[in-house]
Order: sequence, then structure tokens, then C-alpha cells
Amino acid sequence: MAVGKRLDTYVLDNGMVILGEPMEAVESVAFDFMLPAGASVVGEGFCGVGEVISDWIFRGAGDRSSRELGDALDGLGLHRSGSVGSAHLSLGAALESSNLAEGLDLYADIILRPSLQDDEFEPARQLAIDEVHSLDDDPRHKVMIQLREQFYPYPLGISTVGHIEELKALTAEKTRGIVDEHFRLPQTVFAIAGKYDFDKVCRQLERLFAGQRREPAGAIEIGSRAGPQGAGKYMHIEDDSSQVHIGLMAESVVLGDEDYYNARVAVSVLSGGMSARLFTEVREKRGLCYAIGARYHGLKEAAGVMCYAGTTPDKAQETFDVIRSEFGRLGEGISDDELARAKVGLKSDLILQSESSSSRAGSIGVDYYMLGRVRSLDEIKDAVEATSVDSVLGYLQNKRFDDFTVVTIGPKELTTNLH
Amino acid sequence: MEFKKKILDNGLCLIGEFNKSAKSAAIGFFVKTGSRDETMQINGVSHYLEHMLFKGTDKLSALEVNEAFDRTGAQFNAFTSEENTVFYAAMLPEYLAEVTDLWARLMRPALRDDDFEMEKNVIKEEIAMYKDMPSFDVMDQCRSLHFGGHACGYSVLGSDESIDALTAEQMREYFSRRYAPNNIVVACAGDFDWEQVCSLIEGPCGKWEKGAAGRELTDSSGSWKKKRIEKSNLAREHICLMSAGMSAQDPSRFAATLLGTVIGDDVGSRFFWELVDKALAEAAVMQFAAMDGTGVFCSYIRCGSENVSTVMDIVRKVFESVSAKGISEDELRKAKNKILSALVIKNELPMGRLIDLGFNWTYLEQYRTVKDDLDAIKTVTVDDVHSVIERCNPGEFTQFSIGPEKAS
Repeated sequence: MAVGKRLDTYVLDNGMVILGEPMEAVESVAFDFMLPAGASVVGEGFCGVGEVISDWIFRGAGDRSSRELGDALDGLGLHRSGSVGSAHLSLGAALESSNLAEGLDLYADIILRPSLQDDEFEPARQLAIDEVHSLDDDPRHKVMIQLREQFYPYPLGISTVGHIEELKALTAEKTRGIVDEHFRLPQTVFAIAGKYDFDKVCRQLERLFAGQRREPAGAIEIGSRAGPQGAGKYMHIEDDSSQVHIGLMAESVVLGDEDYYNARVAVSVLSGGMSARLFTEVREKRGLCYAIGARYHGLKEAAGVMCYAGTTPDKAQETFDVIRSEFGRLGEGISDDELARAKVGLKSDLILQSESSSSRAGSIGVDYYMLGRVRSLDEIKDAVEATSVDSVLGYLQNKRFDDFTVVTIGPKELTTNLH
Repeated sequence: MEFKKKILDNGLCLIGEFNKSAKSAAIGFFVKTGSRDETMQINGVSHYLEHMLFKGTDKLSALEVNEAFDRTGAQFNAFTSEENTVFYAAMLPEYLAEVTDLWARLMRPALRDDDFEMEKNVIKEEIAMYKDMPSFDVMDQCRSLHFGGHACGYSVLGSDESIDALTAEQMREYFSRRYAPNNIVVACAGDFDWEQVCSLIEGPCGKWEKGAAGRELTDSSGSWKKKRIEKSNLAREHICLMSAGMSAQDPSRFAATLLGTVIGDDVGSRFFWELVDKALAEAAVMQFAAMDGTGVFCSYIRCGSENVSTVMDIVRKVFESVSAKGISEDELRKAKNKILSALVIKNELPMGRLIDLGFNWTYLEQYRTVKDDLDAIKTVTVDDVHSVIERCNPGEFTQFSIGPEKAS
């Protein structure tokens, strides 16, 4: 059976959804628990708490101490992959299939019975604070975190790394309360891909996660753009760095919108490969940058096209101007060749990613959250194939890239005419 | 899995590992040349040349090259290290022929003067970009301090000065010496038609003139020097430690890999429990890197300025402890399990498999199955790791730090 053809689904009594995609020819398996405890849903004043929680829950769980738990996970050769997103706190792992059952037992302890001891809270919080400080030494990463914060209506794009003052004010008690409040099984999605026995996995998860029928949390209130800081469309952070790091974001449509695939193809024409517009105009023809690229970034409620460029101060203004004009020029026309390259690039990325169990587990979980169902690879391929020059241009006429949010970090501020 | 091999009359070596259940194919040209094969006068030329290959041939412009690749949907790129330049692509099997033909032709690039001048800007932007990544910069500078005058310490990127001074003529001369057929391995992995790949390569590449590119191997135990520089815009202290390790040809490289994992894996290692778990450092990792005829253990630590002396005291104690008391059976078992599962997962992708396949041939002229490597890890004993510790003494290290200005 080809990958992406079969989807295993099961719903536990408490509402927790189990999704699986079997893959032939692999010995590994990857799983992901998507807990509804992302940065935008935990409430105001706790920015960064997800990072603290992701660390603290591994410091002992069930009847194991922090050290015993770490040793047990390592003993399975399990590779952890946690992340905090806007909507979810994800706890994932990749491992050899023969160790799956033991791995799931450990994760049930981590999610349901973390020790959350007071003396382990301080180092977890300190590490989260240190990571925020470290971001100052990584302007390329920092500019994109700041950009999402400025672009999305508050609190959707709020920093997943955290804000120092709010992390400093955080207490063990408050954090415990957030775990208790937001680790809601009825809204949790479990996704698995690779080599596994679905019946066995479901029986085990049923045994481990039965119970807890708490009502879903209420919807979050979405505010205006530019967050509580009110910094507007252009924010510059002065830094004595070698390059000016430019982040630029324009509105796009969410997965599920009828124009979604037109939007994806449009971004691919702009920056899908090395023959795409941005790479050709900014790097190849003008030598302005080494790193230049744009990609689609989508949440359930809103989406955008995120562009990054890093360039030395003397070239920063020209780089920005060329990028902006390329965004603007896209709606004026696209050639048949460009469209064909964009399509084949999108389809081929999809299939190449489908060979990785971690990547598939992540994709099916996100699809379910966004759409309430999982798209097959064929459905996606067909939808990409169905786009045309006319449909993409039609979309671009309705959704012109003329409204930008821009953040720069570096020794030189840009003239953007944005307010 | 089925292994294939063919050596052309001019010395170019073609290898492949066919996997019938793969959905994609991967191909790579592994050129055994990097910054250690340069002189200080032309430092950075290997990496710059890697960029220039994408600028096309006498018959293809840069834009035509990029368009041709993008028409296949291939994920293609290249990287340059101290000792290798690798051009690769992963794609759906139906596009393999087109991509192979393209790479084969690009291996004899035009190296035009105007492309060379334009790309100089891009190379200098790349140098500037890495200056803003202290975690990278500190390793680059530590390597240079560790190897002293030895060519393994030359920067892959070169410097603004060396790149400014470099001429297209110097690059052409370097190219003709280093891109000889005997210095290149073409590897493919995943789902492919071997006969087709061979004929596509033999056409353009069979005509290449024989050459005698080589590399003189000299070992270096390292300088053990300590150095710190300051940058006013930094918030954290970035520390890199380097010590001697075994070569890519040394059978004890597997034990060395396990030692690196025991001491410095990102979770569950000695560094993790002593430094990260206690929140003294937010990052503390150590890895073993085997090289041609030499090797290094390399650690990266990031922490606040206030913790530097405590952190370094603990690092020294960790090294002293492994030297005096060794490692436990349990530590070795956990390290093995982590390495084994990482190897399995990586090799499930044709692109991941390609890299191991190509490098095993580059360094050893040997075909090693995934199982060979898994077995080599499984059979390492605690005593094997102890003899690595004795031979390499990781407590004797070179140290380079980059951090904020100290308050006076």
C-alpha cells in the first residue's frame, strides 16, 4: 500500500482523537501528542510558560524521578521532539518500532502524572529565561519571532519562546495550574506514523488515557494586529550586527480556504526554488544576499507569507525595495513555465517528506486540527494540479500583496513608508 | 538492498545502493576537496567554487541551470566542509535521469569572469551572515586555533580579505587540479535504474582527462591554546572546546562516537545532567567528528557570563571523571540505543542513506551496509571506549570563547 492512502482513526471515550498512517519499508515509528496548551491559549501574562512546562514535565513523572525518567527514555533510544506552537504544545518522539509500547507508557506518565516538584521548577524556568536571552545572539531567528508577533492579531502570533518579565513573574503554583487547566484530553490529538499495530496502539492508549471528560476550553479572544506593544507595521531593533536581518510578512489565506492552493502556488512562484523570483532577482542578478526566501505560514485563524533576507547595511534598503517590488509584480503575470515549476516543486516536496515517519505524524495531526480531517496525498496533488495561471492570478487580484508587516534587526533602519 | 559499482577508465568511481521499496532517489557527486586542500592565499576557494558550479557551463546560463533543476521538483543543493564538497539532489525516480545528466554536465563549469565577480558579493554576504551566528563563528575560530598552522584549521568560507584577493584564474587552476576524476565519487541511493545512471554519467564524465589529485595526510594533536574575544552586541558566552580524536579510517571511530554521546548528547549525557539540567548552561553538547587521517572531539557550550567559571570547572571534572573512572555499562547501553535508532531513522530516507554511502566510499573505498554500521556500534565494549579515552585524553583541549564585554 502506498503511503498516504490509508488513514487509521479512532476516538477514545473521552474524545481524544487517535490518527495513524502506516508506512511500509520502515522500522521506525514517530508519534506526536498535540496538547491544547499553545502559546496563544494559556492567557495573558504567561508568555513563555509552554517552554517551562515542556521542560518541567520531563523532570520526573509517575513513580520515576527526573533522572530515572531520562534514563528510561534514553534506554529506548527514543529521540524527543517537543515544540510549542500558537495553538498546541506538542510532545513527540521517534524511535524503533519494537520500543513503541514502552515509549507510550512513559509519555502517558509525562502527560498525566508529571511530578512538577517545586525544586525542579526553578531550573526549568531559568532555562526558559536563558533561551530568551540567547535569542539576542541569534538575530536571524529573533527577527522572525518578532515578525509573527507583530503580524498576527493578538495573541495568535505571541512569542513561543517567551517574554522575560512574564517568565520572571511565573510561579510553580501558577504553572501547575496551567498544566492542569490546559492538558485537556478531549481536545488532544495523537498522531502516529511508521511501523505500528493500530489495534494494539488504540488498546494501550485506551488503557492509559481513559477518563477525563472535561469540557473544552472556551475560544480565545482575538484582538487587533500588532499586539499589545502597538508597534505598528514597521519595527526596527537596533543591533550592532554584521547584517541587517529583514523579516517581512503579508497576508495569505488559511488551509481550508477555497484559494488555499492558489496561495501556495503563488508563494512557490515567488520563492519555491532557485529559479523562483526572489532568488533570481535578489541574489542571482544583484548579489544582494546569501539568505533570501519566502514561505507560507499558516495558523487555523489566519495565515501569511513570511519572507527573510539577511544583508549588509549598505545593501539593506535596495534588498528591501527589490523584495517589495517582487511581491507587487507577482499579480501582474506568471508564465506557464513558472507555474509548472511551482507545481512540480510542491508535489515533489510532498512525496519526499512522506518517506519520513516524523514528518507524516506531524502532517496528519496538523491537518486534523485545521480541517477536522486528514487530506490524502492524492487529494493534495490533485488540488495543486488543478490550479492554473488564471486561478493564481485571480487569487492575487483579490489578495494583492500590498499590506506588509516588517521587522528589522541591525545597525541600519529602513525607509519603508509603513506606519 | 543491492550494491552496484563501476569504475570508468579515467578513474571516476560510480556506486549505488538500490532499494526497491524507496519512493524517491538521491544522487550525489562527492568531491574530495575542501579548505584543507587550499593554501592561505586562496583560502575559501573550495566553497566559492561550489557556488560557481551552479553558474552553468559553456552551454548553460545560471538561470537555465536553476530552471532545469526546478522543472524536476528536485531538492538539490551542495555543501563544502574542511575536506569535502558534495553536490546532491533528492527527487522522484522519474526525474533522476534529467537531474543526473544536469549534474554530470555542471561538473565541468564555465567559471565565467562576470559570474565570478557577481558571486563574490554573495560569498561575502554569507561570511557576514555567519558572523551574526556566534555558535557557528566560535567553532570556526576554535578549529583554526586548535589546528594551528595545519591546513585542517583553515576556514571553509575564507575571510573578506582572502575572498577579495581571489581571482577567477586562481579558481580555474584549483578546479583543474582538484576536480580530477580520481578525486570524485558519484553515488546514488533509493529507487534508480543503474544502467541508465551509468550511461548518463559515462557520456559527459568519461571524457574527462585523468588527473592525480591527492591529499597529503598529516595528523595534528592540537594546540591546546585558550583564547577569548569580545563582541559588544552579544548577550551570552559561547564556548567551543576541541581535542584530538581518531580518523575516519580508524576502527575505533565507533567507540569514539559513543564516547561523544555519553559525555555530550543533547539530553541524558554527563554534560546534560551536570550543566543543562541544573540550568548552569542552556546548551552543552559534545560530538566526535572523524576526518581524513585525523579527527576531533568538539564541544559547544552556551551560558551566561556569570556562570562561565562554574561551568568550566564542571566540564573539567566531567573529563577528569571519565579519565579516572571510565564510563558505566549502563551509560554505554543508552548511548548505543540512541545512536542505533538515529542510524535507522536517518537511513530510511534515500537522501540520508546517500550521505553515509558516499562518505564511506570517499574515506574507506568500502561499501558498508546499514547493518555493518549498526553491528559495529553494537559490538563496542566499555573497554573499547576506555582505550579511546586513554588515547585521546579529552581533558586536554583547545578552548575558544566569544562573549560580551566584561564589566570593568
